[in-house]
Amino acid sequence: MSRYTASSHILRRAVLPLVALVALSACADKPPASNPEDLRAYEELNDPLEPWNRSMHQIDQGLDTVIFNPTIAVYQTIIPEPGRKGVTNVFRNFRSTITFANDILQGEVRRAVTTLGRFVINSTVGLFGLFDIAARMGLPYHSEDFGQTFAVWGMGEGPYLYLPILGPSGGRDLTGYAIDNLGIDAMAWVGRADNPFWWQIAYFGALATDTKSNAKPVLDELKASSVDHYAALRSAYRQNRAKEIRNGAPAPLPDFEDYDDEDGDGDLFSGLKPEPAEAQTAARTD
Amino acid sequence: MRVLALTLLLMISGTQAYAADELWRTDPTDFINHFAEAGIEGILTADIDDTEKIARFRTLFNDGFDIPAMSRFVIGRTWRRTSDADKEAFITLFEDVIVYTWSRRFSEYTGQTIEVRGTTRDGNTGTLVDSVIVDEGGQTISAQWRLRMREGGLRIVDVIIEGVSMAITYRQDYTSVIRQQGGMSGLLDLLGKQVAEATPS
Repeated sequence: MSRYTASSHILRRAVLPLVALVALSACADKPPASNPEDLRAYEELNDPLEPWNRSMHQIDQGLDTVIFNPTIAVYQTIIPEPGRKGVTNVFRNFRSTITFANDILQGEVRRAVTTLGRFVINSTVGLFGLFDIAARMGLPYHSEDFGQTFAVWGMGEGPYLYLPILGPSGGRDLTGYAIDNLGIDAMAWVGRADNPFWWQIAYFGALATDTKSNAKPVLDELKASSVDHYAALRSAYRQNRAKEIRNGAPAPLPDFEDYDDEDGDGDLFSGLKPEPAEAQTAARTD
Repeated sequence: MRVLALTLLLMISGTQAYAADELWRTDPTDFINHFAEAGIEGILTADIDDTEKIARFRTLFNDGFDIPAMSRFVIGRTWRRTSDADKEAFITLFEDVIVYTWSRRFSEYTGQTIEVRGTTRDGNTGTLVDSVIVDEGGQTISAQWRLRMREGGLRIVDVIIEGVSMAITYRQDYTSVIRQQGGMSGLLDLLGKQVAEATPS
């Protein structure tokens, strides 16, 4: 039993039953082919498990209220701001293996060299990653993960998935997340070799606290400004992921010319269309 | 979204400068710079009370943004089936939602500045302004502005922070509500409640 890792525990106790639940749960009703407009909207949304995802979203919000928000409040009280930045830096440094491996897998040699350089500099001069000295030397932080690698390899995002604690994800990104954290992350291996279970609980617990603490202001604001928080979060997550996958390359401008569609009928050039045949005939007879 | 709010706040300015020099209204880079510079001095660091700050923010939001076009966009295909009265009601509520939810973040401004990095053509009359928000520690956040040329000069139709478009996010939010509520009236009710809760007393 000592070889039991948190990862395999989590996999057996949580992930597999969740997958079974997904399979059993009711799916969102797909509009019939006789309604092409609704069908297109449904396919663009790519959230066939929406009812299930929404209940997971509610559970996640509940967990935030009961567990994570109080934890974050304590964390932010005992560690003031420069310290929390240090914690984030340490985690980023720890987890460089994930970014490095995925830089390589995506063929981004320059970025891989940057990641390696950052690790060497910050682990030594930066006191085990506490200070991001490398960024000041012109090697800024970036992150990569296996979900992005899959995307670069041409894989589609898969259906949208929302999980408690992990939050918004999708078929592709969740698979990538599992590979990164159970396979690539050096810290997970360190834990596995020695004192597995509690070490990993502590590691992932601290990581979750750091991540959620950093994300809280933005997520709170999204919650306050939205009416359907679930839908707004789904949209924001996907847009942000698309940007991460592009690695900062210029975004293809979305084809949303509705801004210039004065009569709002979805057709930019509707004002230029020839009059309907009857109207033209009527005009001529006058 | 806090970042989004701060970005907006950076653009706020008083209305005094307009008559003196109107050239910035047609040059995309100048347009963003004008609002950024004047915004910091006009509201964020100005020695005025919160009510006055909100009032100035509303004026500037109306002046800098094409709110009717944004409204049309965020409602999507339901817009053409919406009555004129409901359209008007929505535009008013949408403005209130943005003004109130964003103005709660006035106090969080800690010296950020906006640096324009470049512009790209965007559609027939549009420009995309690429910029970064730089904080005092040198950290940057990407911010892009979609501008459209209107009769009175340039207007912002969307702000994209770290790849997340404000217009697209609101659109997904509102169209989801419309779908569940079976129409505009349900959305208007919910927005009315949201505004009532957010209105400063």
